[in-house]
Amino acid sequence: MSDTIPTIAEAARQIAAKELSPVELTRACLTRVHALDGELHAFVHVTEERALAEARGAERAIMAGGSSGPLHGIPIGLKDIVDTKGIPTTCGSKFLQDNIPDTDAACAEKLAAAGSVLIGKLTTHEFADGGPSFDLPAPPARNPWNTAHFTAGSSSGTGAAVAAGLILGGIGTDTGGSIRGPAALCGIAGIKPTYGLVSRAGVAPAAYSLDHIGPMAWTSEDCALMLQALAGHDPRDPASASRPLPNYTALLGGGIKGLKIGVIHHFHEVDHKVSEGTRRGIDAALATLRDLGAELREVQLSPLQDWAACGSLISITERAAAYEEWTRTRLGDFSERMRSRLMLGALVSGVDYVQAVRRRRELRAELQQAMKGLDVVLTATQPAEAAKIDEVPKWDLFDRPNFTMPFNVAGYPAISVCAGFGAGGLPVAIQLVGKPFQEPTLFRVADAFERATPFRGERPALVTARAAA
Amino acid sequence: MPSDINDAALDYLLARAGLDLTNEQKAELKTVHAALAEMAERVRKPRGRMAEPAHGYGFAEEDLA
Repeated sequence: MSDTIPTIAEAARQIAAKELSPVELTRACLTRVHALDGELHAFVHVTEERALAEARGAERAIMAGGSSGPLHGIPIGLKDIVDTKGIPTTCGSKFLQDNIPDTDAACAEKLAAAGSVLIGKLTTHEFADGGPSFDLPAPPARNPWNTAHFTAGSSSGTGAAVAAGLILGGIGTDTGGSIRGPAALCGIAGIKPTYGLVSRAGVAPAAYSLDHIGPMAWTSEDCALMLQALAGHDPRDPASASRPLPNYTALLGGGIKGLKIGVIHHFHEVDHKVSEGTRRGIDAALATLRDLGAELREVQLSPLQDWAACGSLISITERAAAYEEWTRTRLGDFSERMRSRLMLGALVSGVDYVQAVRRRRELRAELQQAMKGLDVVLTATQPAEAAKIDEVPKWDLFDRPNFTMPFNVAGYPAISVCAGFGAGGLPVAIQLVGKPFQEPTLFRVADAFERATPFRGERPALVTARAAA
Repeated sequence: MPSDINDAALDYLLARAGLDLTNEQKAELKTVHAALAEMAERVRKPRGRMAEPAHGYGFAEEDLA
């Protein structure tokens, strides 16, 4: 097995120059899948034959007419709540074990049109909520940095698969942090784009007004390359934005001298104190950004608990509405964790929901005001390094307000990038938040940070050990 | 939302939601009711009747400036 796992950007350059075969690249990923996924459980369905056929097709096309773009011949995976024509899409649930969609979700369609190679469908918490669950048809994904530990979720398989090099990039979805959480705990990059930028058509809902689709990859540059293929108006998604699309890599490499970065210290130092390792990672990241020429400013928002309450009430209610029929008729067929989340819907009144949506407008206005004169803001992504997978509290929804939900509430774009390693050698991360549709600026800062730090040079020991074997 | 909930009130809410829960599941809901009530209180502010909810997302120029 090759011990070098290229980024999408590196592989794309080599493929375009005909120095790397998409078939060889796909075989290398499949070899890692065979070697590692018995431990990681990142995949629920591997589409090996299709992947090799697509890779051969990409190779023929590239040899004949050149590469059609940076995703041409690149192995990717899709979270298993993304509909895939002719391929099982189970949403991690007993309800959909036999579900084979007859159309592709918009994001699957777009990645296929960009020439990517589908390696398979990736583990998710049931309908993208709760988890980790041990009472579902498939086991939960495990963290490649230590398989006794959790990946976070719900895009758990995507996080694990990217970190271990089973794929070069993948699709996650994010209702309260389900892209950024696994990105943080698995030591990769993951962006929740602006609400409406990427079509949700064909993706199972978690909470309609908070749901986002986005890329997860080893680097922020790779996320930018994937977002270029994914973004764009889609009339099938009622929330889809109709705007001209920028070049998401245009600002990479331009440095960040003079950019103004707000820091929401109180989120991670007062409202929900992060672990020592996470705190060190954030402080070191701030020093790096300052050294790169950014100007740091203090930002004060409403307490994290206010944002979490607002997002949680909306999320609980919209999810209960989406799955009401099955909740009423087949509650026992949900996993225990999903079942408990769905039951909460009975306790939230219609007035509670509307008050939460009124609060949402106020909180969004508050963030808008706070970001005046700033380019991005920064806070934690996760409170600590990954917990052991059998020690994840069931009700962390109430116990620990999360750092990611505020930006689902606001709809603003937010990316998590690796900021080093803490206790047990497990990854820690920072979260950068941009203004709506200003993803290029977000990528500019994230990319500059990644290039100024050594963390993209280290893969999980499990991967490097197997490569050496 | 009151922070405590008695059995009769819980049964009413569950019946309204169309849920038929076991006693164990009801007991679990009662353990988190206070936390949920605190969340519901947090989103209530003295904002008057004219304060609109967020209706969806058409981002204003102020968002983009």
